[in-house]
Amino acid sequence: MALLRLLLVFVLAAAPAAAAPDPAGFVSELGDKTLEIINKRPPKEERDRRFRAVLHEGFDMQALSRFVLGPHWRTATEQQRSEFVKLFEDWIVSAYGERFSNYSGEQFKVTGQRPESESVTLVTSQIVRPSGGPPIRVDWRVAKAANGFRISDVVVEGISLMVTQRQEFASVIQRNGGQLEALLKVLRERTGQ
Amino acid sequence: MRTFRLAGALVGAALLAGCAGTGELADDPYAVNDPLEDVNRAIFELNLAVDDYLLVPAAKAYRTVVPELGREAVQNFFANLRTPITLVNDVLQGETERAGHTFTRLWLNTTFGLGGLLDVATYFGVPPAHTEDFGQTFAVWGVEDGPYLMLPLLGPANLRDAAGIAAGFFADPFNIWMGSIDMDWVPYARGVAEAVDTRSRNIETFQTLRETSIDYYATIRSLYQQRRSADIRNEDSSSPSGNPISAGRPATE
Repeated sequence: MALLRLLLVFVLAAAPAAAAPDPAGFVSELGDKTLEIINKRPPKEERDRRFRAVLHEGFDMQALSRFVLGPHWRTATEQQRSEFVKLFEDWIVSAYGERFSNYSGEQFKVTGQRPESESVTLVTSQIVRPSGGPPIRVDWRVAKAANGFRISDVVVEGISLMVTQRQEFASVIQRNGGQLEALLKVLRERTGQ
Repeated sequence: MRTFRLAGALVGAALLAGCAGTGELADDPYAVNDPLEDVNRAIFELNLAVDDYLLVPAAKAYRTVVPELGREAVQNFFANLRTPITLVNDVLQGETERAGHTFTRLWLNTTFGLGGLLDVATYFGVPPAHTEDFGQTFAVWGVEDGPYLMLPLLGPANLRDAAGIAAGFFADPFNIWMGSIDMDWVPYARGVAEAVDTRSRNIETFQTLRETSIDYYATIRSLYQQRRSADIRNEDSSSPSGNPISAGRPATE
């Protein structure tokens, strides 16, 4: 009996703090947190810190990095890969933090979810603008992860943020003689490193 | 024997295509078809200059001078003016239900909406407006998009959409009417006014996007191509659950 209780404590402790029951709940929680950051308009430093926390909670940066580099990931050295994962995260925090700063007073609601493949669920949501006008449709690809869920893509009005990022980065690399180093250099500059 | 020869020809063609591509990247499913990139980039710079020095100042002035309510009426008016082209393309794509909504919207807004200034259709419960154009119709008919093109003043397109833009200009009933009464300049003025109106509503969004992009040209190209694909699949905000998005996009190489 004591063993059972011990086991139970172990299981509970191992579960992530905010274990969402399903992908929709997971997205709903993350969306609310993000919107709170956007609407409260904290100073840049705090905004970036909180935004980074949401990023860690909801996204697998390693997997996203692999996707956005595409064929260049395969040819990158181990050192380049780990530097990219770090720079990519820093850059997302600053660039998207900036892009979100145009918004304020938005409301977010999850409208549904459906399986897209065996491991990926598509969660649909809407962002309602304070100015009126049609709501913005945002779809989330949510993959099952070891402990809970991880977002693999965010699709705004049919535009995949990951695909956009991949194509932008590919262009930077391609225009610099196919050198991944060129992209790393720009990212270092943009993130002040 | 014949099958073999055909297979051989196909493999040969595939190999050639592989060589013609950018080597290793040719098998990248997200590779972009932009053979005229250098010219396109030059035109993009030109468009940005026009945007910076003419369009944005005009849009800002417009936003300052005309109150919100007036700008809404202008937006409604231009949207209504585009509706006949949407209707024609709904029909050409065999979208009878959407065509019905478009038709109802057009006559309600043109009559009770005082020539389109008021969007009474939405008030009466007609589903939200959508737009269709000839570029989308060509796509539905199976025409390939062709190379990406940056058009002077008109902005991003591809070969198919450029043809669609031209078709839309010449098939537009309002433009035809203006041409028939020797007011050929009106369709161009309409284009400029529409550009100012649209731009006045997205100045900050694009400003931030430009500042935070590493390669703004590539970002715009990506956004345009993805947005068009979504439009062609008729995924608009009016369908909250969204239609299935093309499969195979999750985070894998």
